[in-house]
Amino acid sequence: MSGPIGKPTPYIDGVQKVTGKAMYTDDYRFPNMLYVGLLRSPHAHAHIKHIDTSAAETYPGVAAVTVGTDLPISFGILPISSDENAMAVEKVRYVGEIVAAVAAETMEAAQKGAEKIIVEYDPVRAFIDPGDSLEVCDPAEQIHSHTKGGKNIHKTAELRFNEPEKALEQSPFKRTESFKFAGVTHAFTEPHSTIAIWNGDETLTVISATQVPHYLHRNLSKVLELPMHRVQVKKPALGGGFGGKSDPFAHEMITAYLSMITKRPVKCTFSREEVFINNHGRHPTTIDMSVGCDQDGIITALDTDTIIDGGAYGSFGVVTSYYNGVLLQGPYKIDKLGFRTRRAYTNKSQCGAMRGHGAVNPRYAMEVILDMLAHDAGIDPCDLREKNFLEENTVTVGQLRITSNGVRDCLQAVREKSDWDKLYGKQPYGRGLGIGCGFYISGSALPIIWNRYPQTVVHAKLDFDGRIVMFSGASDIGQGSDTMLAQIASEELGVPMNYVQLEVADTKTTPVDLGSYSSRVTFMVGNAAKMAAEKLRNEMAKAIAKEKDVSADDIVFRDNKIFTEDGAVDISWEDGVETALAGRGAIVESGYYFSPKMGGDFKGSGAGLSPAYSFGAFISDVTVNPSTGSVKVEKIWAAHDCGKALNPLAVEGQIEGSIHMGLGQAVSEDMRYVNGQIVNANFFDYRIPYSVDTPDMDVTIIESNDSEGPYGAKEAGEGPIHPVLPSIGNAIYDAVGIRMMELPITPDKVLAKIQEKG
Amino acid sequence: MGHYFRPTTIKEALSLASDWPGNYKYFGGGTDLQIYRKQKLLNNEAIIDLSELDDTCSIKADENSMKLGAFVTLDEITTSSDIQTHFPLLAEAAASVATPVIRKTATMGGNLLVNNRCTLYNQSKEWRDAVGSCLREVGNICLVTGGKDKCFSRNVSDTAPALIALNAVVIIHSQDGKKEIPLQDIYARDGIKFHDHLDEDAIVSEIRVPTKPASWWFKKLRLRKTLDFTSLTVAATVDSAGIARVCLNGVSMSPVLIEESLKKLTVETVIKKARKNCKTVDNDLMPLKYRREMINVYLNEWWKSK
Ligand SMILES: Cc1cc2nc3c(=O)[nH]c(=O)nc-3n(C[C@H](O)[C@H](O)[C@H](O)COP(=O)(O)OP(=O)(O)OC[C@H]3O[C@@H](n4cnc5c(N)ncnc54)[C@H](O)[C@@H]3O)c2cc1C
Ligand code: SF4
Repeated sequence: MSGPIGKPTPYIDGVQKVTGKAMYTDDYRFPNMLYVGLLRSPHAHAHIKHIDTSAAETYPGVAAVTVGTDLPISFGILPISSDENAMAVEKVRYVGEIVAAVAAETMEAAQKGAEKIIVEYDPVRAFIDPGDSLEVCDPAEQIHSHTKGGKNIHKTAELRFNEPEKALEQSPFKRTESFKFAGVTHAFTEPHSTIAIWNGDETLTVISATQVPHYLHRNLSKVLELPMHRVQVKKPALGGGFGGKSDPFAHEMITAYLSMITKRPVKCTFSREEVFINNHGRHPTTIDMSVGCDQDGIITALDTDTIIDGGAYGSFGVVTSYYNGVLLQGPYKIDKLGFRTRRAYTNKSQCGAMRGHGAVNPRYAMEVILDMLAHDAGIDPCDLREKNFLEENTVTVGQLRITSNGVRDCLQAVREKSDWDKLYGKQPYGRGLGIGCGFYISGSALPIIWNRYPQTVVHAKLDFDGRIVMFSGASDIGQGSDTMLAQIASEELGVPMNYVQLEVADTKTTPVDLGSYSSRVTFMVGNAAKMAAEKLRNEMAKAIAKEKDVSADDIVFRDNKIFTEDGAVDISWEDGVETALAGRGAIVESGYYFSPKMGGDFKGSGAGLSPAYSFGAFISDVTVNPSTGSVKVEKIWAAHDCGKALNPLAVEGQIEGSIHMGLGQAVSEDMRYVNGQIVNANFFDYRIPYSVDTPDMDVTIIESNDSEGPYGAKEAGEGPIHPVLPSIGNAIYDAVGIRMMELPITPDKVLAKIQEKG
Repeated sequence: MGHYFRPTTIKEALSLASDWPGNYKYFGGGTDLQIYRKQKLLNNEAIIDLSELDDTCSIKADENSMKLGAFVTLDEITTSSDIQTHFPLLAEAAASVATPVIRKTATMGGNLLVNNRCTLYNQSKEWRDAVGSCLREVGNICLVTGGKDKCFSRNVSDTAPALIALNAVVIIHSQDGKKEIPLQDIYARDGIKFHDHLDEDAIVSEIRVPTKPASWWFKKLRLRKTLDFTSLTVAATVDSAGIARVCLNGVSMSPVLIEESLKKLTVETVIKKARKNCKTVDNDLMPLKYRREMINVYLNEWWKSK
C-alpha cells in the first residue's frame, strides 16, 4: 500500500474536536429558533384520563403545545415492532415517558410552560421485574395489547440444532450455571440533540445527533405523514453513540412536528438525566446456560435459556433476542446447540442496541463455563479453547459463513505476552490471570427493512479544482468513518489526504447508507468507497491512456503523480485531472456494496449473518483484596483480528475504548432502579471507570486479511468488548478461587463469595 | 431571579445575611451548593460568596500546630509541603475528595460543611416528585426506613473525620460574636438539621489544630479511585499520651468519634462502639450490609497498623 491505508492516520476531524471548533447539533443556532420543553410521566404504568393544556398555551413565550393524539402513528427502528409513539397515547409505560411538549421562545419558558400542563392519570399495576412479565396477567394490566397469551412477553426467539440436551446428558463433563447481568447504558458524551427546520418550500430539515439518518428519515416521514422526498436528515459532528443513538427517537418526532406547526426552527437538547431516562442500553439479563465437553475438552453441546428485560418498547429487541443465542456459534465449533431467549416488556425505559449488541452477556456466561470445564477436565483454559476454535472458511451449525479467522493467532499473542504458561494458577493468593475470547459480526448481512437496494452507495466526484469529494451517507460517530473514506480515496488516486473532501450523512445530498450499527461501516462503506474511487481512477486512466497512447492498465497513480513505469507518461495530478475532464467536465463515479447471499432457510436464519466475522482473545491480570473484596484490574493484553487495520491508530483506539467500556460493565456500571425509576441518572452515580481506574493495556492487532473486506478489513468497533468481561471474571477465579456469576462484580459480591467459600 | 454578593469583611457578610433572613446561602467554592440549587433542593434567592473575605486563605503548619483559613482550597491543602510534612493525614483526606478539578475550587470550610446526602434525596425535582418527596423535603415519611420522624442522611465530608481525629477547633463568627468550638461539636445527629449546633448565620473562618499526633491512619471506601463520595471514611490518630481518636464518617448523620486511651481499648470495643453509634441505613449506592462489614474491616486494619 503506497498511500495512507494501513498507516496510523490521525482523524481528519480530530483537531476540530479537541479544540472545540467542531459543530455538534446543539452548537447550531438559527434565527427565530424555538426550544422544546417536555412533560414526562411520573408513573411507571398508568392510563391517561385527561390532559389540560390550556394554562401552557397561554403561558408567556409558549408558541405551540402538542400531545400524543396529535401524532398517533407509531414508529420504531424495526418494522416488526413499531410500538412507540412520539408522545404517550392513552397510556404511559415508564417513569419519564414523554406525555406532552411545548415549543417556546426560551428554554426557561419551554420548561415552565410544560410544567403548566395538567395530566390526570389512572395508575395500573407496574411490571418492574421481568420475571413477572412472563406470567399471565389481567388483560387490563397488559403493557401492550398485542402481546400473546395474556403475558407481557415481547418476543421469544428459539433455535435448536441436533438435540443438544441429549448430548449434554451424555457428556463426561457438564456445567449448568445461572448468570445475572445488570442493565448498562452507553454513557456517550454528547447528549441527544435535535433541530428541526420547516423550510419555505414546505420541506423539513432535521439536524440530529443520530447514528441512523436513513432510518430517522423513514420514520419521520411515516409519523409526520410527509412524503420521503420532503424530508432531509443531517448528522453533524457527533459525540459518541455506542448504539445509544441508533433508534429514531420520540423527541426527534416531536421537534419536527413543532417546527411544522410553528413554521419556525425548533431545538431540543436533553439534560444528562433525560439521556439516562431515554436509555436504549444493554438489556438486564438472566442466563441459564449448560455446556458440556468430553475427556479431551472438546465441546459437546450448548443449551441456554435467557430472559432479557426489554423495558416498555421494542427498539432493537427482536434482534437482541436472536443475538443472545446465535452469536454463541463462534469462536468455537459447536454442532449441537440450542437457545431460547424471551424478551419481557416491563415498565421501564426501553433497552436496545449497545456496543457488542446482544452478545456481551452470553459471551461472559460461555467463557466462564469454559473455564470451569477446563478445570473440571484438568486442561489449561487456553488449551481447551484452542482445541475448540472454528477453522477459517467454514460454516457453523446455524449456517453462519466464516471466512477469515485469526483467533488462533490472537490467543497465541496474548498467551505469550502475558507469560500465561508460567503464571496461570501459580501466583500467590489474591493475584490471577484470566482468558476470554470472542467473535462478532462485521456488518449485518441483511438490512433492517427489506429492499432491493445495495446496503450502501458512495459517490466519488472529481472536478476542475482537482479535489475529490466523496459523498456517503455513512455516519461518523467518533469511530472514524470519515477518515476512512478519505484514506481510501487518497490510496486509490495517489493524492495526499487533503485532496479528499467529504459530503457525509445528509439524506438529501448523499446516497443512502443504512447507518452506524452492527459494525458494518468499514466493511460495507469501505468496499463501496473503494469501488467508487477505483472507477474514478479507471475513468481518468482511460482518458490519459487515450491521449498518451499507452495502455490504461499501465498507468500508476501515486505520490500525487500519474505515470507509467517506462516513463511514457509522467504528469502531475493536476495535469491528469485536466486531461481526464477535457470534453466532459466533472466526473462522478458510484460504488456500492451488496452482501453475498448466505444463510439457512429456517425461521430466524437471518440473525447473525455477516459477510465476515472479527475474532479476539484477551487476558486480564487482576489483584483481589480478600478482606474488602475489591478488585483491581492491573493489565489487559488484547489481541483482535480486524482483518486488516486500515488505520492502526483507530483500531487501537477502538480496542482501548472497548476495554474501558467492558471494564465498566464488569466492575462498576449498572442501571439502578427504585420502583422502576432510575436512581443513578447522572455521571456521578452511574459509575464509569475513570482514568485512574483503567488498567494498563497492551494491544496486538492481528491481520487475517479477509478476502471480501476492503483491503482485507473487518470490524474493530464492537468485537473487542466481548472478551474483556469474562477475562476479568476468570482472572478473579485464578486469584481467589471464586466464580462471579453476577455483574457488575462489585466488592460486596466478591467479599460475600469469599466468605461463602470460607 | 438571584442576588449575588461578594463581601470582603465578615461584618459585611453577617449584615448581608441579616438582610436576607432564611433566603440566603453562604458560598465557598460552590461545588456542593450549586448542585443543590440545580436540583431545586435549595431555592434561596441570595448567594453570599465568602471567598473574598480578608485573611481567610492562608496555611500555617509546622511540627507543633496548624492554622488554616476556611477558604483555602482542597488543592492547596493537598499540595502544601508543610501539611504533607507535618499533617499528612489532612493532606491525604483532602486528596480523597472529589477530583483534581473540583479540588481547585472546593474550599476547606465548604468541605467541613458539605450537605448531608441520601440516594433518595439527592435527585432532580422531577425524580423526587415522581417517587414522592421525603421527610427531609416536604413529605412525611423517610423513603429509606419508612419511619415518620427521623432522617438518616449521611454526613460525607472526608476532611471532617481527619480534622476531628486531629482534635481541631473552628473559629466561628455570627451576630452573637466570635467563638472557638471543637469541630465535632458543630455536627448534630440529625439528618435534616445536621449543622444545628451552629447559629444559622455562622461563618467558619479558621481551623486550628493544636498538636501533631504521634501516629495516624486514614482510609476511604469508594468504588472508584476518584470522584465518588465516601461510603465509609475512617481517620484515626494516637497522641503522645496514648489517647486514640478514631472518627468515622459517611455512615451516620454526623461524624462518629471514639476517643479513649489505648490502654483501655481493645479492637472489639472500638468496633462495638462504632457500630452502636453509627446509625447506618440503606441510603448509599454501596449495600448496607457491606458498609457495616467494612466498619469492622477498617477498624481492624487500623488496629493492626498501630
Ligand atoms: C462530582 C463531585 C464529587 C464530590 N466528591 C466529594 C467527596 O468525595 N467528598 C466530599 O467531602 N465532598 C465531595 N463533593 C462535595 C464538595 O465538592 C466538597 O465537599 C467541597 O469541599 C465543598 O466545598 P465548597 O467550597 O465547594 O463548598 P460550597 O458548595 O461552597 O459550600 C458547601 C456548604 O457549606 C456552606 N459554607 C461554605 N463555606 C462556609 C463557611 N466558611 N462558613 C459557613 N458556611 C459555609 C455553604 O453554604 C454550603 O451549604 C463532591 C462534589 C462533586 C460535584
Ligand atoms: S434518610 Fe429518609 S428522610 Fe432522610 S433524606 Fe433519605 S429518604 Fe429522606
